[in-house]
Amino acid sequence: MSATAMSLRSGWRGLAFIAIPVTAIAIFLFYPAALSIIGTLVRPAPGGGYTFSLQSYIFFFTDSYSLANLARTLWTTVVTLVLLIAVNLPIALYMRFTKGRLAAVIQALALFPMFVPGIIICYALIRYMGPNGWLQSLLSLVGFHHYASPHLTPWGPVVGLIWDGMPLTLLILISGLSNVSDASIEAARDVGAGRLRILVSIITPEITHSLLIVSALNFLGIFGQVLMPFMLGPTNPEMMGPFMLRTFSSVRDPLQASTQATITFLICSLAGVAYVRSIARRQREDRT
Amino acid sequence: MIALSSRRFEVFGYGILLFLIFFIVLPVLTVFLWAFAEQWFYPAVLPTKWGFRFWSLVLARPDVWAAFVTSMELSLTVTALSAVICLPAAYAFSRLDFPGKSAFMMSFLMANAFPRFALIVSIAVLFLSFDLIGTFTGVVVIQLLNTLLLMIWLPTAAFRAVSREMEEAARDVGASAWQVFRYVTLPQAFPTIAAALLMTFVWTFYETEGAWLVGAPRIRTMPLLMMQMINNQLVVQYGAVLSVMLWVPSLVAILMARRIIGGDAFARGLGG
Repeated sequence: MSATAMSLRSGWRGLAFIAIPVTAIAIFLFYPAALSIIGTLVRPAPGGGYTFSLQSYIFFFTDSYSLANLARTLWTTVVTLVLLIAVNLPIALYMRFTKGRLAAVIQALALFPMFVPGIIICYALIRYMGPNGWLQSLLSLVGFHHYASPHLTPWGPVVGLIWDGMPLTLLILISGLSNVSDASIEAARDVGAGRLRILVSIITPEITHSLLIVSALNFLGIFGQVLMPFMLGPTNPEMMGPFMLRTFSSVRDPLQASTQATITFLICSLAGVAYVRSIARRQREDRT
Repeated sequence: MIALSSRRFEVFGYGILLFLIFFIVLPVLTVFLWAFAEQWFYPAVLPTKWGFRFWSLVLARPDVWAAFVTSMELSLTVTALSAVICLPAAYAFSRLDFPGKSAFMMSFLMANAFPRFALIVSIAVLFLSFDLIGTFTGVVVIQLLNTLLLMIWLPTAAFRAVSREMEEAARDVGASAWQVFRYVTLPQAFPTIAAALLMTFVWTFYETEGAWLVGAPRIRTMPLLMMQMINNQLVVQYGAVLSVMLWVPSLVAILMARRIIGGDAFARGLGG
């Protein structure tokens, strides 16, 4: 068999092998998503046929409850994202520049949430930080009696989402920091750069890619969260996740639910585009 | 190692450790304390009465067993289907050359770029017209979509790690393509594939949001039952006992899987 015939055969077999998952994604993911997005814009007309209508979007953007939910979602997403990076960047830096027992223990603890299913995290946090929870008992033991529980306040989901997002954020930041060479830091110190200077001028440029990926992935993950805001957060206003769920399952208004989903898509597409562009650029750089 | 490990740096490390103990260890410990507490009133620092009473109460509940069976059936079905669909694709991505390969690989990564729950909602809207809401099939489809990415990308890495020289050596001594796959490629890639299967199973078992939106109220999985028990809060211990009972075996399973896969693979796979 000639080499071209061989690669042609392997080409067909390759396409056949990946056809099944690609078809599954097309049929069960993109087709329904596209259909329900179009369904929010094109409605059956009263006299038969279809008309273009922005009615469901006008409802969303004039309904004060929907707008309050959207605002709450954006607030939670931004606050959680900032705190996630503020908490994980120092830990990642510490682990990049130290080895030994303490660093190993810190790594094991910080990655631990990866092994705890969401529902169990929720239960643990309610029992721990909730009113009359274990944290409050421990604090009052040492004489602190002014504990205000974040449970069922806007800060409840923030705490839960930081718990949940910590391992992934940390792994990606550590992976980014491994690109920073010891030599370049040594060189900077030799010419008299301080720690802050090294952080800003040497380390930050190297991890911009990782910071972008972390921000984009967490934005997508937090914005559409259901479980944490439902279990740990207030009900009015609520985040988009529980809002969509309730609109679909309890209010039984699929049109408004898919309108909310489309608005979520549009806002998240900013983060999605940033994510895709960033990994595409990284792959090009790897090839050259 | 460079000279950053001053005394101050060490103090910094212990600061992180203290934060992690308060933020991560103590909440998890709370669940274990509640699971073995028969009586615990605020502000007692530890349970006032210890015991296993609530374990037998939980095990005697028929709804717990029903949810457990449902969850096991769902997870087994989804994992098996996912393997059948994804493993050939993973092999194709790692070993075969075909037109549009990198574009397809990229499009699988792009699945990360969508807000998952919004996708599920729009799929569920379509399921309404097919009467798939509240059915086993509907939940299987939703959960299956969740697993595709992991099930393609981990086995792809596994097949890639198999040495080409060994495969070619086997071909040289006259093995057929199938024999090479069966006796050289598969045995070497198997540990990682098994780990991927295990993780898919555990993740599906605990998948909550898709099952909730599409399955409720007729399909009740274990996480949904737990959610209900936690929210009703009549007996605090039910949630704790269920958590400990289910989570400890799955923790052992995932730790085993992670030992094989390694953390860096996760970060890289997401484009880190």
